Amino acid sequence: MSVIEALYIFDEHNSLILDHVYTGRPAPPSTVLPLYLQHAVPRPSLIYLPSTTPSTLLYSITQDNLLFLSPCASDTEPLLVLEFLHKAADALEEFLGSPLLAAKITASYDVVAQVVAEMADAGVVCQTEANALRDVVETGPGVLKNLLGGVGISGSSPALQSGGSSLTLQRQPAMSAHGSAVPWRRSNVRHTSNELYVDIVETLSVTMAPSGRPLSAFAYGSIAFTSKVSGVPDLLLNLSTDGKGAGMGNRGDKLRAVMEHAVFHPCVRLAKWKSDGILSFIPPDGRFALCGYETDLLGPNAPLTTNATTANNLDLPANIEVTTGLGNTGSDFEVRIRQPTSSSTSARSAAAASLRSNLGRPGGPRLNSNHDSKTPAFEFLTVHIPIPTTARNVSELRPSKGEAQWTPAESTVEWKLTAKELGTGSATLRCTVRGQPSDDDDEAVGSGAVLNGMTTTTYDYDDENPATYQAQHETSPPPPAATTSDERKVEKNRDLMPTSATLSFGIKGWLASGLKVESLLVDTKKSRGLGPEVKPYKGVKYFTVSRRGIEVRC
Amino acid sequence: MESISRISSLLETARDLTLEAARDAGPRAKSVRPLPAPQIKKLLDSRNERDVLDGLRRVIAMQYANPPQPTLTFFPAVLKTLSNPYPSTRPLVYNYLLHHAELDPDTALLSVNTIQKSLSDSNPRVRAMALKTMAGIRVPVIAQIVSLAIKKGVNDLSPVVRKTAALACVKCVRLDPSSRPQVEEYIATLLGDKQYYVAGAALQAFIEVCPERLDMIHPVYRKLCRMVVDMDEWGQLALLKLMTSYARRCFPQRTKRVKQARMQEQRAHDFYEDLEPKEDDEAEYDEVELVDPDLELYLKSIRSLLQSRNSAVIVAVARAYLYLSPTNYLHHAIGPLIALLRSPQDIQQVALYNIVQVCLLDPTFFVPHIRHFLVRATEGAEIWRLKLELLTLIFPHSSQDVQNLILAELEHFSRSHDAPLVRESVRAIGRCAQSSDPTTSRRCLSLLLKQIHSPDQSLVGEAIEVVRHLMQRSPDEHQKTVIRLAKNLDTLRSPTARASIIWLVGEFAGYDPDNGIAADVLRILVKNYAEEEDEVRAQIVLLAAKVYLHFLNAKNGKKRALDALNSTTSRAEGEENEAGDENQTGDGPSSFEAESGSPHAIEALYQHTMLLARYTPSYDLRDRARLYRALLAVPSSIDLATLLLLAPKPHPQAPSPSETRRGLALGSASLVLGDENVRGYSDIPAWVEEGSEPDAKLRDDGDAGMSQSSTTDGGRSNGSGSAGAMLDKALKADPGYRPNGAVGGKTTKGKSLDDWLDEESESEEDEEESEEETDEEEDDETDESEEEEEESSEEDDDDESEDDENERTGLVRAK
Repeated sequence: MSVIEALYIFDEHNSLILDHVYTGRPAPPSTVLPLYLQHAVPRPSLIYLPSTTPSTLLYSITQDNLLFLSPCASDTEPLLVLEFLHKAADALEEFLGSPLLAAKITASYDVVAQVVAEMADAGVVCQTEANALRDVVETGPGVLKNLLGGVGISGSSPALQSGGSSLTLQRQPAMSAHGSAVPWRRSNVRHTSNELYVDIVETLSVTMAPSGRPLSAFAYGSIAFTSKVSGVPDLLLNLSTDGKGAGMGNRGDKLRAVMEHAVFHPCVRLAKWKSDGILSFIPPDGRFALCGYETDLLGPNAPLTTNATTANNLDLPANIEVTTGLGNTGSDFEVRIRQPTSSSTSARSAAAASLRSNLGRPGGPRLNSNHDSKTPAFEFLTVHIPIPTTARNVSELRPSKGEAQWTPAESTVEWKLTAKELGTGSATLRCTVRGQPSDDDDEAVGSGAVLNGMTTTTYDYDDENPATYQAQHETSPPPPAATTSDERKVEKNRDLMPTSATLSFGIKGWLASGLKVESLLVDTKKSRGLGPEVKPYKGVKYFTVSRRGIEVRC
Repeated sequence: MESISRISSLLETARDLTLEAARDAGPRAKSVRPLPAPQIKKLLDSRNERDVLDGLRRVIAMQYANPPQPTLTFFPAVLKTLSNPYPSTRPLVYNYLLHHAELDPDTALLSVNTIQKSLSDSNPRVRAMALKTMAGIRVPVIAQIVSLAIKKGVNDLSPVVRKTAALACVKCVRLDPSSRPQVEEYIATLLGDKQYYVAGAALQAFIEVCPERLDMIHPVYRKLCRMVVDMDEWGQLALLKLMTSYARRCFPQRTKRVKQARMQEQRAHDFYEDLEPKEDDEAEYDEVELVDPDLELYLKSIRSLLQSRNSAVIVAVARAYLYLSPTNYLHHAIGPLIALLRSPQDIQQVALYNIVQVCLLDPTFFVPHIRHFLVRATEGAEIWRLKLELLTLIFPHSSQDVQNLILAELEHFSRSHDAPLVRESVRAIGRCAQSSDPTTSRRCLSLLLKQIHSPDQSLVGEAIEVVRHLMQRSPDEHQKTVIRLAKNLDTLRSPTARASIIWLVGEFAGYDPDNGIAADVLRILVKNYAEEEDEVRAQIVLLAAKVYLHFLNAKNGKKRALDALNSTTSRAEGEENEAGDENQTGDGPSSFEAESGSPHAIEALYQHTMLLARYTPSYDLRDRARLYRALLAVPSSIDLATLLLLAPKPHPQAPSPSETRRGLALGSASLVLGDENVRGYSDIPAWVEEGSEPDAKLRDDGDAGMSQSSTTDGGRSNGSGSAGAMLDKALKADPGYRPNGAVGGKTTKGKSLDDWLDEESESEEDEEESEEETDEEEDDETDESEEEEEESSEEDDDDESEDDENERTGLVRAK
């Protein structure tokens, strides 16, 4: 039995906004929600609830602050349900605009009800292609008004505007005679202006050893494609690598060496990819995820243990270093952001420039808006430093640039910098951590004295029989006289020092993998419904983002 | 692959702000002002399309609103709108109808006529929607009508309608189970459909309605295998699920012995030394799977699915490869499985469970991907737990470099601030140490010993426990470690850790009796006996007993040596029998006491401990002390005491935490939950036995007969009937047919448990035997022997409680 029994959606305040039962008598949302909330964050995506009758398997995802739950009475493939939930979120976003907000769902239940019901027929998942759903879901007249009027808050967001424009273009009668021949593309697509956009996003996942040597470095890439072209276009997307994977045979092999473990939208012709390394496909209308891949930035043959001299050949746009145990009592730590020297930056800008010439339309507004400055720019820079929960306070946050603050609830120090503030140099943050008051000698002199008394006794004990056992010890305990208060503080503060720090940033116009869009062609022979004179406008956007993705241990 | 909304959220920097603003906006504002019921009715009755639509929207919104508002009153009004010619209102009306049909079946029936008319509409979309709605009305009376409608839909020209018909089959059977035979016929027809998305939907229906009717699959098997690439992901999932069990039941596992493929070096070696003729070695032959060509077709055709964006499909393909042909195909699935680690966290977690499952069977596949398993500080507990387990599973199979990396990694996390993470890494280090060579093992041990000074007492307990396991495995190397540990007794506070160390000291007391520390440790411990926890006290008492016993044994040994010297002169060598022994042991202590007036220090210490134990509040402890005293008081029972107290202990095992899930099927929810009793869990079936599989010709016939089948339904169902009969017979004839995993799981698990019990019972038997012997020897001392029996049973309890302890720490999980 692989059946979706129900779909419940809750908003950010955990109040129910959608309750759609597909089949059977699943546990109601009022029962499963408290049981779900019992689990500690981060909550597992599959929870077994034996206390309900019948016992329930509860699947959950969160998307844009909305909580999607699906109860199930029997063993199903967990990933099937989770994928369905993700697809449901995608489909709703396609119809209601991005980002998905609770207000949008409550304002247009008629559309939501249809979308949700069409995705699974009596629980059997049947149609999850958001674009193809457009053929069957009746948005009708007046929906648009509801959409834009009801959600004033995001009316200005560009994504919604684009969604709105596609709605106006849509044909009125809902029932097109026959289903589209391409199952993922709605039928009868018409656009007045034809546009094609490729957005390549890479998420960094880098782990650095305390020595600064990278232990692992991956860039997880996704290609998001936006197609607004009339008829049924057949596209050829040609990617190229930036010198990486050299000596790997033909271009396709090189590309496959950079784009490891690639997965594709079903529209991509796999045979073509395997033979030539070209993505050939008939796109769905609108925005969709074309491809996912990963790049091992260290290369497949990177040695696991190297000395520090060859280390850090990773060409990251920014790096952090953490030094702990500074100051008299070892209660300070310092974080330093560094940017590499200008040579690699110029290389990057060259890549951005060559991109323009490739696409042939440097004057396009989209390209202009992204690359008005030649160098790729940081969108934001944030450093998170998790502090042990035993720390009472982090006082004296002294950033050389930017703003830093300590959040006791999450027990992290957050240091935010804008690109302008960082400039081209480096920046440092120095913090002092304070432990629990009972450990603090300054505040409780009496307890300190007791503490001293205790330590003396233990050391005395040690001294009673040093000759017998000390020989086996590599490090003999320091004699009591040597333990000055400072050293003990250093010892104590060592437990308060952070063990890692993460760097988050976003960079436009640069990809960690060095991937580039060589060309994007409309195959006029295979395409239908698109006149030969039509030249769609094409745009490319590169974006590398690190969401706490660069982790430095210390 | 990341969903498009997630990618968008990365790109849109303003998105976070919008979301935050939405959250801060608090309770959402109603955008549409609710209208009173009469007004909505008025809208519904209007002739204006826009008004009707508006009315319907309001009704639907009320139906979904939280808390739900009563909408049943609108039923007649809503149904009336069906008579309107506007197609735009239909979906909403149908939605309303499906939602309310069960509450008011009579009114719902009124609509059936109109819907039936739509079944003949010229627009296939309208036909499909009507069929879908009609099948969805949950009123059992109409089951026959629905069945007829499906029959019509099955032969529809439009694939959209045929797909809907396939899905309607599921609903029809749910509505009226008696319609199953008819519905199965429909499904059989649809499975042969040329449109891949119709066939996909038919497969989904097949799995829901009649997953056991494999006879229906034979004729379409090859066609479906070829189609699978083009189906949508849900159809692919249904096919993968079905075919994996189909293959197990229809293709017997054949193996052939072939000459082993030579390693590359060996080949090079052969190249230079091929002048010397080599005789064929028996060991060079290997059992190789012989894959049925039809199975091969399936395995090959699903290979391109590994590039699917759907994680469920990838896991399902991995499952097919794992259970059907692990040697030839499984390696293809490893990379894509690893790629799932870049998915959103919810999927990542489930994927990791599946990766661990594959890794349990063959860790070598994952060695090159080690970098993906490095734990990141931002990850949730579930994920790092599984990643740590993966690291330890890979550890014994990896090179020196990788081992160093893993140990460094574990060391780093054993210094982290997150207590559960530290504990888990300590355990992981222990597992690494168990499965590696002595040098690495030593390194692990030193890592563990560092943990002893941690302020977290439970962690210290954990570390010592792991150290104890390691030391028990190779006691000879660890005498100095005991000394190091014993030294920590001065400062250590955790009772579990203290108890563990004391126990270890006792165990090692016999290794080097002359400069052992056990007696000294006992002396120091006894001073603070009153302040210790019961757990520790029990160990102190046990240590005292052991130390004293060693002392007695040593003394006896000396005495025996002396006696032997004397007796060689007086007696013949062969005559040294039991009686003599009894004599010797019988007068041992007395003569000893005779020669020295005051008792030996150890003896005094022992007596003192026993005295302390006597006044301990815990009756359990007092009882135990009584036992030791009785046991050690009489010289004749020293051998027995030696057997009881100094018996060699079996090596503790610390299996990987997921070892308990080994038998569970890849890709199931049960695997994630680690619970076999989830409703609806079905195991991968066992391989069919050679000779009882359905004839391969059935698949041939189907291919040829396919073209006719669309016209002659009856003939084919006959054919499939016979095939079904054959299959049934095959299944019945196969006596060993049981779900495979259950068998496999039980045997593997049972085995280890049995082993354990065997060991246990053997040693018990030994004990009992020896006990009987002593019984015979000392018939006069009945009280004592009774007490001894008690003792031995107590000792058993002890063993058990030790087991419990292990179980509690999660190191041994025999279920």
